[in-house]
Amino acid sequence: MRTDKERDEAIEGYLTDELKTVNAHLPRSRKTLAELMDEPYPYVLCNDGSEHHFRKKELRHLAELVSEEEQSLLLLPIILEVQSEQGDIVVHSKQGIEAKVLSAILDMPLVVRNMSLRIYRPQVQVLRSSLKTTTQYVFRI
Amino acid sequence: MARKIQIARPTKMELARLKKRLRLALRIQKIVKDRLSILVMEFIQTIKASARVRSRLYEEMSRAQTSFFLTAGYLGYEPVKKDLLGRETAVMIHAGTRNVAGVRIPLFESDEDARPPDELSNPLEYSAHLEHTRDLSRRFLETLIELAELQKSLDLLGIEINKVKRINNALEYVVIPGLDMTIKYLNMKFEERDREEAARLKRVKMLIEQREAYAY
Repeated sequence: MRTDKERDEAIEGYLTDELKTVNAHLPRSRKTLAELMDEPYPYVLCNDGSEHHFRKKELRHLAELVSEEEQSLLLLPIILEVQSEQGDIVVHSKQGIEAKVLSAILDMPLVVRNMSLRIYRPQVQVLRSSLKTTTQYVFRI
Repeated sequence: MARKIQIARPTKMELARLKKRLRLALRIQKIVKDRLSILVMEFIQTIKASARVRSRLYEEMSRAQTSFFLTAGYLGYEPVKKDLLGRETAVMIHAGTRNVAGVRIPLFESDEDARPPDELSNPLEYSAHLEHTRDLSRRFLETLIELAELQKSLDLLGIEINKVKRINNALEYVVIPGLDMTIKYLNMKFEERDREEAARLKRVKMLIEQREAYAY
């Protein structure tokens, strides 16, 4: 009987690679809004070695929404966690600053439960249209 | 059509390995589907933005052109040519990348801070029309940069959507059904082996009983 081990291993390797690559765009470490505002060309390094640049206009817009103290606490990019089971998207907000920002952009009150808040796809569209570079998707495995 | 994966030996170990791989494939399919939906959402948003920017670009272009001809009418073609066309204007663009669900997209931003102040070649030849035309052309250029970014984003997102779709289809129509079929085949093989074993045992038992009966 012909063994087909090579092909199987290729598929398996490919599948595991897919798991790795799907979140490879995550930043190695996030920076605060205050730090990014001071940089001439604000960016963060990603796990795959690429650079994720921020638009200065967006940073200025965010700075208008939060106080100076909160600027040094707000970590960017804001992570939007996509979950397979649910149709919604989770945003972790430890100190509630992300909730404040998102609430101002979506123009609606958002409730933080267990240090996270849930938003739905139509709201994500609105959010992404105004915060293109300051938000990033993460796929929950 | 899905095909059964060819395996070296139909063993329980192989079955366990296949089941593990099926679980992994199903998990990945979910993630791939999520990624696809996000990419399609981004693609649609980019198309809408691109259409908006394109119509704005046409408007700005026509306004700049009208203004240019009006200025040329007022001042004559030579001064306009000297001030607008003959002079180099520095355009500083900061080019970077941003990441959208694993797709590296270019980011162009006109660097307003680094832009040197525009100076008229001759202050005596100052004209409001000329200034207006220059402003309109600069705005047109900025919109053009914005549109370039959006068009490139569209290209890259489209390519990635095609790739992810192919992965999703391969998983949905080839890998997962193939694994399912192989697992079913192995299960049937083991059941058949069990049945054969039971029949063989019955036969052996019967032979032993017959031998014992003859012995007495």
